[in-house]
Amino acid sequence: MSVVTEPGTETGPAAGAAPAVRPDAGRTAPARHPLLAVAGRVLATAATAATVFVIATFATFALGAASGSNPAAVALGEVATQADIDRLNHVFGLDRPFLVRYFDWLGSALTGDLGTSWFTTIPVSTSIAQAFPVSLSIATGATLCALVGGSALGILAAVNRGGILDRVVTVLSSIATTVPAFVVAIALILLFGHAIPLFPVAGYVPPTKDVGAWLTCLVLPSVALSLDAGADIARQLRTSLVGALTENYVIGARVHGLSPARIVFRHALPNATAPALSALGVHVPRLVGGAVITEVIFGMPGLGRLANTSALQGDVPVVQGVLLVAIAVVVVSGVVINLAIRRSTGTGRNAA
Amino acid sequence: MSRSDQSRSGAWTVRLALGLVAIVAVLAVAGPALAPYDPLAQDTALALHGSSPAHLLGTDYLGRDVLSRLLAGAPASLLSALAAALIGLLVGALPGALSAFLPRPAEWLALRVVDALLALPFILFAIVFAALLGNGLVQATTAIGLLIAPGFFRISRAATLRVRDAQYVEAATLLGASAWWVLGRHAWRQVAPTLVVAGISALGSALLAVASLTFLGIGVQPPAPTWGGMLASDLGYLAQRPEGPLAPALAIVLTVGALNLLADAVRDRTGAARVRHRAGANRKETADV
Repeated sequence: MSVVTEPGTETGPAAGAAPAVRPDAGRTAPARHPLLAVAGRVLATAATAATVFVIATFATFALGAASGSNPAAVALGEVATQADIDRLNHVFGLDRPFLVRYFDWLGSALTGDLGTSWFTTIPVSTSIAQAFPVSLSIATGATLCALVGGSALGILAAVNRGGILDRVVTVLSSIATTVPAFVVAIALILLFGHAIPLFPVAGYVPPTKDVGAWLTCLVLPSVALSLDAGADIARQLRTSLVGALTENYVIGARVHGLSPARIVFRHALPNATAPALSALGVHVPRLVGGAVITEVIFGMPGLGRLANTSALQGDVPVVQGVLLVAIAVVVVSGVVINLAIRRSTGTGRNAA
Repeated sequence: MSRSDQSRSGAWTVRLALGLVAIVAVLAVAGPALAPYDPLAQDTALALHGSSPAHLLGTDYLGRDVLSRLLAGAPASLLSALAAALIGLLVGALPGALSAFLPRPAEWLALRVVDALLALPFILFAIVFAALLGNGLVQATTAIGLLIAPGFFRISRAATLRVRDAQYVEAATLLGASAWWVLGRHAWRQVAPTLVVAGISALGSALLAVASLTFLGIGVQPPAPTWGGMLASDLGYLAQRPEGPLAPALAIVLTVGALNLLADAVRDRTGAARVRHRAGANRKETADV
């Protein structure tokens, strides 16, 4: 399932999409063998994820079809005659019914064939294979920044609840949600391009060439992209950790004489991670989508830039291919995050 | 949540936010009329100058007055954000409320469709949608509105579910009330404040999305001024005019910040009202509100 319970908006028992699946799993689980229950849950998650994937890719494919763009117009421009259009439409199989084309496209996409570009006739999968590592590096870097920075600030704020540090974190996180990624990116370029030339402000170096250069060129885009998600994680973690720290078992641990660090990290934190994880889950589609702007600003040849230029050219197969990959990334990371949340709430129940 | 922190920080932030939103609203309508110069008039002799009495915010790389472009770009940036938020509200809210009354299989399917829409990478999809369908402001606004809609769907669904399980609604259903009756008679009043809050913050995110698209050159063609487009053109001249992006960036950030503050303030007021209203019912979810 791609979407995890959105923090903040879901105050009641109706946590958006989740309850529609969970009650069934919950009802049948105790009666069955534990392994069967796990298998059932995995199957249910996979079925949901697959449904979401099919609907989302269908929307993408329909969009391409609705654009009215055709290979002759893209490749030949204004001089294309009706005969050219018909001929190329036939070559690319566009004279077949819409649903046939969709399932054909989806079927070959699952085997790694995404068709060829109308503009360059390069296979779409080749272009994507070149651009994907760039985007994956930025998105992973941003996720790491958001997780590490957000958790550190959230924990600091929760431990110093009501103190100056807590207020500083609250103010910082509300500023970070307001400032868009491209403004942060420009500020970073100004700071590091002119004042402190510590990190490169443009370009991408693949890790196969130079790992050090690869890491440094990722720093600024990752930071720029991570602020929004990091702020949300910090806020969610602070709230849930403050709640966990007032529970009886924490007081018990304190009475036992455990060190504050052990109480926070071993006892309270594992029970407080679920909301922060769902915040991350909500942000994954935004991280994947927001990478476009970061890529353009920092001059990185990633998926976002590929989609941007192809969309402006009307090169439908490339656009559809990029979106399919992006949707797959979002759906898969949604499943992973949901499993992580289930694990963390599971341990929470055991500990409490 | 940080609600108690927000109310502690007092009424002056709310007044500041209201004032800013009011100013921005005036600019959205009257911006172009207030511009001291023609926003498209070039004077290359004056290109990339800093602030001066004649040009309060300086000039851009073609010698165009930055203040005039900022004012003239306000309607495109603000009104399309407003339109996008309204599209999202219209498309998302009513189906969301109705989905609480659907039979199980239909409900499951509706939720998966919403999940699928939420799985679309927001900005990426908006870019592609707008660019493929003609690269105009209408297309960009529609794309952003449709992508905001699932958020409204979930919010209004969650709010409706809370009402649906209330005893007086159960009683109404037992007496034969239809879903439409429950919605119009009971749920509406509970869901509306939540939707207002969601609408204000959606306006903020729509503004950011519009700025992102125009920054990438999608939705509005170059000579026409937009806040995002101004940022993009200033980006190429950072070495000559490092303070260039400051004016459009501040315009975007202050507007979004004011909208977020306002949404928080409204949530505080209506949230408090709801707790009081439901205190008698003594239901579990009042603890969450």
